[in-house]
Amino acid sequence: MKLPLLWLRDYVDIAANAKQVAARLSGCGFDVASIEDDVLDVDVWANRPDALSVYGLAREAAAAFDLPLKAAPGEGAPVAPVGASTIPVSIGDAGCGRYAMATADVQIGHSPPWLAERLAAVGVRPINNVVDISNYVMLEMGHPMHAFDVTCLKGPEIHVRRARPGEKLTTLDGQARQLDETMLVIADHDAAVAIAGVMGGKDSEVSSKTTRIAIESAWFHPATVRSTSKRLGLKTEASARFERGADLTAPVRALQRMLALLKSCGAGQASGPVADIYPRPAATKQVPLRRDRIARLLGQSVPDADVTRILTRLAFRLNAAPEGWTVDVPPFRVDITREADLVEEVGRHWGFDRIPATFPVVRAASPQPSPGVLRDRRVRQALVGAGLQEAVTFTFIQADAAAPFVPEGRSPLAIANPLSEKFAVLRPSLLPGLLDSLAHSRRRETDTVRLFEIGATFDQSGERAAAGWILTGSRAAHWSERDSPLDFFDASGLAAVLGGSFGISLHLRPLDGRPWLARGRGAALVLGDGDAASVGWVGEIQTGLVQARGLTAAEQVFGGEVDLEALAAAARDRSSAIQPLPRFPSIVRDVSIVIDERLPAAEVRGTISANAPSTLASIREFDRYRGQGVPAGQVSLSLRLTFRDAERTLTDSEVQQAVSRIVRALEERHGARLRGG
Amino acid sequence: MRIVDELREEFRTALAGARTIAEVDAVRDRFLSRGQGRVTALVKSIASAPPEDRRTLGALANGLKQEVEDQLASRATELQATAPIAGAVDVTLPGRVPGLGRRHPLTLVRERVEDIFQSMGYQVIEGPELEDDWHNFEALNMPPEHPARDMQDTLYLAEPVKVAGARPRTLLRTHTSGMQIRHMESHQPPVRIVAPGRVYRRDNIDATHTPMFTQVEGLVVDEGISLGDLKGTLQAFADRFFDGKVRTRFRPSFFPYTEPSAELDVECQGCGGKGCPLCKQTGWIEILGCGMVHPAVFEAVRYDTEKYTGFAFGMGIERLALRLYGVDDIRMFYENDIRFLSQVTA
Repeated sequence: MKLPLLWLRDYVDIAANAKQVAARLSGCGFDVASIEDDVLDVDVWANRPDALSVYGLAREAAAAFDLPLKAAPGEGAPVAPVGASTIPVSIGDAGCGRYAMATADVQIGHSPPWLAERLAAVGVRPINNVVDISNYVMLEMGHPMHAFDVTCLKGPEIHVRRARPGEKLTTLDGQARQLDETMLVIADHDAAVAIAGVMGGKDSEVSSKTTRIAIESAWFHPATVRSTSKRLGLKTEASARFERGADLTAPVRALQRMLALLKSCGAGQASGPVADIYPRPAATKQVPLRRDRIARLLGQSVPDADVTRILTRLAFRLNAAPEGWTVDVPPFRVDITREADLVEEVGRHWGFDRIPATFPVVRAASPQPSPGVLRDRRVRQALVGAGLQEAVTFTFIQADAAAPFVPEGRSPLAIANPLSEKFAVLRPSLLPGLLDSLAHSRRRETDTVRLFEIGATFDQSGERAAAGWILTGSRAAHWSERDSPLDFFDASGLAAVLGGSFGISLHLRPLDGRPWLARGRGAALVLGDGDAASVGWVGEIQTGLVQARGLTAAEQVFGGEVDLEALAAAARDRSSAIQPLPRFPSIVRDVSIVIDERLPAAEVRGTISANAPSTLASIREFDRYRGQGVPAGQVSLSLRLTFRDAERTLTDSEVQQAVSRIVRALEERHGARLRGG
Repeated sequence: MRIVDELREEFRTALAGARTIAEVDAVRDRFLSRGQGRVTALVKSIASAPPEDRRTLGALANGLKQEVEDQLASRATELQATAPIAGAVDVTLPGRVPGLGRRHPLTLVRERVEDIFQSMGYQVIEGPELEDDWHNFEALNMPPEHPARDMQDTLYLAEPVKVAGARPRTLLRTHTSGMQIRHMESHQPPVRIVAPGRVYRRDNIDATHTPMFTQVEGLVVDEGISLGDLKGTLQAFADRFFDGKVRTRFRPSFFPYTEPSAELDVECQGCGGKGCPLCKQTGWIEILGCGMVHPAVFEAVRYDTEKYTGFAFGMGIERLALRLYGVDDIRMFYENDIRFLSQVTA
C-alpha cells in the first residue's frame, strides 16, 4: 500500500518526516519496504484489510505517535438523505451482506489537478473524474465502489445473484469471462453487468458520453469474492479488499464521501436518495480483556492507562469489567475475535522492545531426539568418514528421470500443480538427483566426484528415508602411483560401511533386469543370504542414463542406495556389546581353487562355512585370477582361512583335517580343483 | 720460484674440475701419492737442489704441500655435505591426502541450530514431508479459504496417499509447523521441541527462492510461558549462532498460528548496522518469524488455553546459511558443485 506523507497528514497532524514515520509504523507491525518522494510503500498483512487505506494507516500512525485522529471522511452531514432507491435493487444471495446505491447526474471530464496528482503519487492512472473519485475514495477509506452508466442498464434495475450456468461477461479489461454458479454477479434485468467485488462489465462502463451513473457501494462475503477471484484468475484492488474482509458499516459512508467529492470537484450531483439494503445489521463484537492475561502473555504487565490509551487510539471502546475490560471492537477490525488479539494490539503499540527478555524454566529433561534424527546422523557420519561429500538435491524431478527407477506397472507420485515439467514427480530414488549433481561437477573440470544424499524417496504408498551414493573418477590420485579408476567395488564397499555403522553386514546378490543398472554389474543388498527382500542395491549405472546427462560413454559411474528404515529396523535388536579379544593364537591357511567363472564367491564362502568346524574364524578372498594356467571360462580364487579357538591353542593337524574337509566339499559341490599345490 | 707457482696453478685447475669425491681422490693421487705425486716429487727434489736455493725451495715446496692438503680436505668436506643421503625423500612433494568427506552446508547450519536448542533442553523431532490439510493448515488456524493460505503457495499431490488410521496425505508440507500439531496431539505439556526438515512451496527459482528449502520450527508450551521468554530464548540463540553478542530487535508481524506474532531481526553482519545493499540500507536482517501460540491452535489439539501458554518460532536454514557463508545465491546450495561444497568448513 502506497502512502503519501502529505495525504496522511490530512487525518493526523504528524510533524515527523517520512523516515521517522516509517520507523514508527515498522515498530508496530507495518514494514515500510521503500520511501520515494515522501511516499511510503507499506507492507500490510493479509489479516489487516482496514489498513489498506490512507485513513486506516493514519489510525495506526496516530496510535504510534499518540496523536488524535481526525474524523473519518464521509462522516458528518450527509450529502443525500438515505431513502427509497430511484431504481429497483434486490439482494438474492447471502454472499452480499449489504448493498447501498446512489444515482447521480455527472459531467464527465478531467479530475482536478490535486486529485489527479494524489492518484499519480500512489501509481493509479487518472481516467476521468468519476472513475478517479471512486478510486480516490477506495484508497482513502479502503472501501471499493463501482459506477455504472445507468443508461446501459436494462430496466434499469439491479439484482445481486449467482451467475447462471453458461453466463458470460466481458469485463472492464476487455476479457470475455466464463462465469459459473459459484460466482456472485450484479445483474440488470437481463444479464450480469459486473462480477461482485471483483470487476465491472465493459458494456456498462462509465465513458465520456455518460451523463447519469449508479454508484454501487456494497459488502460482499470474503470467501465468495476469494473463490471467484481465484477461479477467474482475476485479482483487483477491489477483490483484495473484499476477500480479506471489508467494513460492513462503510458502504453508506463511502457513498456520501463520493457524492461530496463529485460535488466539490464539479463532476456531478446526487439525483436521488441513497438506497441502503442491509438485511442483517451486524452487532458490535465484544471481546473480554483481562489485565492478568496481558501480563501472562507478554511477560510484563502494562499499566491500565496505557492499555486504555492504545486501544482507544485504535478505535476500540473499553468498558470496565471485574478483571479488566470488555472491549467493543470497531467493525473494520475483522481480525480481532479473541483476547489474544487484543493483547497483541496492546503489545505492538506498547513496544515489543520494552518487554524484558527472560528465559523459560526447564521442568523436565528433554527426551532423546527422534530415532530418525539419530539414524540419519549415524549414516551421515559413516559416509563422510568414508570420504564422500554430502549433496542435497530437489525432491521433485522430471517424469523421464524418474521412469527407470519406478517398478514396472507402477507410476511415480505426481504433483498436481508442478512449477514446471522439471519438478513434475516426487523422486522414487535418490539416484536421478545425485546423477544430475555428479554430471554438473564433471562438466566443470572436476574429475573425481563422490557424493551421497540422505532424504526421502516416494512411491504410491508414501515416503521412505533412504541414503544414496554415487561415484566416478579415480581413487585419491598421488604422484607416486598410477591413477586407479573407481569401480564397482568402491560402490559396494560403501554398502559395507553403511551396514557396518548399524553393526550389520549386508550381503550382496547378483541383480539383473533393473533398467538403471549395467548388465552383470548390479547387486541387491540383503540382510541375510536367504532373505528374499532386498534393502537396497549397488552397481554400475547404465551408460544411457550417464550419457543423457551430457557425459561420454567412457564415463563409468557407480552408485548404491539403501532403505534406511529397513536397516534401522534390522539393527534395533542388535547387541552393542564388544566381544572379548582372543587369548590364543590363530592358524592361517591359504587355499587356491579353480572354479567356473560364473560361480559367485558368496556361494564358495557358503560351502566353506557349512563344512567348517566352529573354529573357522574368518574367510577372506585375497586374489581372483584369470589367464595363463587357468582354463578359459574358469577363474582361480584364493582364500585365506583363519582358525582360532577361544579356549586353547589349535594343532596343525586338526586345522589340516578341517581344510581337507573343506576342499573336498568344494570339489564335490562346485567341481573346484585345488590349484598349484 | 716459477716451478712452484706453475705447480700451484696446475693443482688449482685440477681441483676446480673435480665434481665428486672420487675425482677429488684422483686429484689427491696425482699430486700427493707417495710414488708419482707431483708435489711429493717437488718436496723430494729439495735435497738435490743447489745449496743456495735449498732453503727457499724447501719453504715454498712445503708451503705448497700444506696448501694442497688443506684445499683437498676442504673440497672433500664440501662435496660430502651436499652428497645425496641414502633413502632421503623429497619432503616438499605433496602428501597422500585421504579422500575427505564433508557434510553439506545446509546440514552444518541445521545441526548447528539443533545443537544450540538441544543444549537448552529441546527435543529434536522429525515428521512427514507429505502432509494432510489438517496438520499443515486447519489445525494451525488456517481454515479453507483463509487468505493466509495465499502466503504459502502449496504443491498438491495428483493422488492422495492413503495412510492406515490417519488422514490421507494430499500435499507437500509448506512449513514444518505441522509437526507442532503432530507432537501436541500425542504429548501433554511441558513441550519443548525443535523440528527441522525440508519444506516446499510453489515458488519460481531465483537467487533468493527455491521450491524446496529447509526450516527449523521450535515450540515451547508450559504454564507461564511469555513473549519475554521468547525474546530471551531467541536472543540466546542468536548470540550462539552468530558467535558473540549480536544486537536483535523484535518487530510485530502476522502469522495465523501465533498471536501476538513477531519477526526477529539481527544487526546486519555485512555493515554492522550502518546500512548496506545486503540489508537494503536498514541495518537489520530478518532471520525468523515467531510468536505466542494462537489459542485456536491449542484448541485444535485440546490443550487447556487458560492453563497453558506457549511460543513458537520458525527459521529458514538457507537464509542463515547465506549469512554465515557470505553466499549471495541460494541456488548454489542445490547445485552440489564439488568446487563449492569442498570449501565449506564448519
